[in-house]
Amino acid sequence: MPRGLKIKKQSFLTEAECRIVHEGSCRLLEETGVELTNPKALNLFKEGGAIQKGNRIKMSRDMINRAVEKTAKNFIMKAKDPENELILDTKSPRVHFGTGGQALYVLRKENGMFKKKEAVTQDLVDILRICEKLDHVDFITRPVEPDVPDEEMDLEKTRLFLAHTTKHMNLANLIIEDCLPDIIEKVGDRSSISFISCVAVSPLNLVSPTVEKFIRIVSEDIPVAISSCPQAGLTAPLSEVGEIIQVNAEILSAVVLANLVRPGAKVLYRGIPITSNLHLDVSPRWCQPESIRRIALISDITYFYGIPCCGTAAVSDEKKPTSQALSEKVLGWIFEAASGAQFINSALGMLEQVMTVSPEQYIIDDMGISLVKKYLSMHPGADLKETGREVVFKALETFDVKTTREMEKEIANRIEFIYSPKEEYSPDYINNQVDHIVNAVSSAKSSSKFLKDSRKGLRKGWLYMGKRIEGAMNLKEVLKTKDGILGMRLRGT
Amino acid sequence: MDEFLEKIKENIIEGRVDSQDEGFDGTKAGQPGVTELVQEAVNKKISPVDILTKCLNPGMEEVGSLYEKGEYLTPDMLASAECVKAAMKLLDPLLVNENIQNKGKIIMATVQGDLHDIGKNIVSTLLRGSGYEVLDLGTDVSVGKIVETVKETKARLVGLSALLTSTMGRMEDVVEKLKKEGLRKNVKVLIGGAPISMEFADKIGADFYCTDAFDAINKLEA
Ligand code: B12
Repeated sequence: MPRGLKIKKQSFLTEAECRIVHEGSCRLLEETGVELTNPKALNLFKEGGAIQKGNRIKMSRDMINRAVEKTAKNFIMKAKDPENELILDTKSPRVHFGTGGQALYVLRKENGMFKKKEAVTQDLVDILRICEKLDHVDFITRPVEPDVPDEEMDLEKTRLFLAHTTKHMNLANLIIEDCLPDIIEKVGDRSSISFISCVAVSPLNLVSPTVEKFIRIVSEDIPVAISSCPQAGLTAPLSEVGEIIQVNAEILSAVVLANLVRPGAKVLYRGIPITSNLHLDVSPRWCQPESIRRIALISDITYFYGIPCCGTAAVSDEKKPTSQALSEKVLGWIFEAASGAQFINSALGMLEQVMTVSPEQYIIDDMGISLVKKYLSMHPGADLKETGREVVFKALETFDVKTTREMEKEIANRIEFIYSPKEEYSPDYINNQVDHIVNAVSSAKSSSKFLKDSRKGLRKGWLYMGKRIEGAMNLKEVLKTKDGILGMRLRGT
Repeated sequence: MDEFLEKIKENIIEGRVDSQDEGFDGTKAGQPGVTELVQEAVNKKISPVDILTKCLNPGMEEVGSLYEKGEYLTPDMLASAECVKAAMKLLDPLLVNENIQNKGKIIMATVQGDLHDIGKNIVSTLLRGSGYEVLDLGTDVSVGKIVETVKETKARLVGLSALLTSTMGRMEDVVEKLKKEGLRKNVKVLIGGAPISMEFADKIGADFYCTDAFDAINKLEA
């Protein structure tokens, strides 16, 4: 049986709403286009009929629609062990959960205390070994890089993946473009690897040299996730509608490019419209309810196009394995899985957003995902208002956290926030947001414009403000499992 | 006249850079903002020192205290800092004549190979808002360009940002090149970014590691 959870997709946006988002994004790409200076990409775009105006490239609705039509609608992501293959197809969706990267640190439990250390090659090996054993980790996105010089990074990473995992290898980041042929030779079957490309720097900029690596990966027929991850209020409008139109335009521009390189390109749509902490240090807000909502809405857009979705979930701010982290992660997964994202990467095993990995957290998260899967298959299509709270509680109880009425209220508030639209999806409002983006992009400093525009939305409560979930977790079983997996190495064999 | 200065101060607190800004309640578009008001003040020959000490400084102090009380959020503070920047652009040439200097020039850059600029931009805006002259060189800036700019502008402060482990090393290159060119002793180097730490700053011989803009301001003013 192939991997993945068969689900009954839940939608937040209607098809008509997706269509007007599409219209808005097309207007952006027609009128303002994307900033692009890379000669190779510029040539491809121009040959395909796009128009260069200064340092921007503009493309017609027609070009966009044709590219979407051509894009691969289903493909298989292979793995060393055929049992670990992933089938991506929006027509008959299966949800897969994987790890994320790239963390800089690792939390090591020493003498009963968590200690944060710089991650090194051994950590990558340990995590690969742990994830190989965890049933609910469907694929591996490189969690930390090996500590070798940049010139050796790509091949060393490939070697370690091949040695320690039989699951699909999402190598994430290609450091040196010319290493690609050697990577392919090493892995044998190119469909057993994939990449993530952060080609889009918001707002609306396709950056070199990332764009050149992207072209190379697509031309080699290797699946690649096109990533756009603005922070609302800083590099996109704070408005949910505005941010989604912008993310969609950014990704569509790369979808067009991919199909100019190779018609029928295998790309995944990785739109991450998160917000930023405008109350304080403007750091990204990933796991907060408004971001969980926005990320789930993106999944609807990917279904509208029929392009496989690379989802995001479980990026908690917590620095250690805590019940707050668990509550955020489980809530993120259940919404992202129910919305049908097929390739959910990011923060499995991660803490402190995406800065730290923790061997223990991988095991905790595997348990969290198993509950999410269980509930979604037991109650397909169920209202997540009830199910969501139940799963979070069940997860907390699994680790002996004493649950309270107050916690129940907090989780209910988060879910309520995820379900409540704050803005309307009307043609007028969409046009208004497009105007805002055009205005910001054409000014010398777009972030000042977005920040300024965010002041009103902030006061309307567009960022969720809630309480932490507090309660000690019992990690005895987790530690035992970890020792069971890694114990052999510790004994020196 | 005091009423006029008061108006400038109010607009700074409200963060209205120019007349296009609708203000908090969305009704003020078309009314003069800080840029227009300060220009008018300059035309009326109001003393630039008065504008500085009676509008800009107390205005920003008020913004700071509103922020501390939680009534103001980060974008509010940044909007006010933008106003100070706009005002200083008009006042700088006049203040030079008055023999009043700003707090000094700081060169800001995200190092070569790195495109992350959200943090650097925020730090730049806040430094401007608190009276520094910021020369922002942008992202992916080469070691050579940074050191050249130090030479050309005689800036005594350099702020470097790096968010990637693979680009942190460029900060050390900047410090080394400053040494090589005999400029190191005249320049203070501030560094920041997610992977940066105090230990790293010590290791490469940077003067300050800063967690954020406020930390930078405190360290510069200590
Ligand atoms: C937003 C973001 C992006 C955006 C950048 C948009 C932009 N215009 O900047 C995009 C999507 C383009 C991007 C791209 C990439 N990113 Co990125 N990105 C981030 C993210 C999520 C947030 C950074 C941020 O803006 N934070 C908010 C600001 C306000 O905080 P800050 O930058 O830390 O700045 C504050 C302080 O540090 C300090 N400060 C910073 N600089 C300075 C300088 C001075 C002088 C002073 C005084 C203070 C100071 O003050 C600031 C204000 O408080 C981080 C993760 C994280 N949480 O840090 C990853 C992260 C930095 N990215 C990462 C990676 C890997 C990449 C990519 C390589 C991904 C890829 N596969 O292509 C590319 C690299 C592109 C390139 N060549 O630079 C990794 C780095 C890992 C590593 N080992 O180095 C991180 C840590 C995420 C992760 N764990 O995977 N990224």
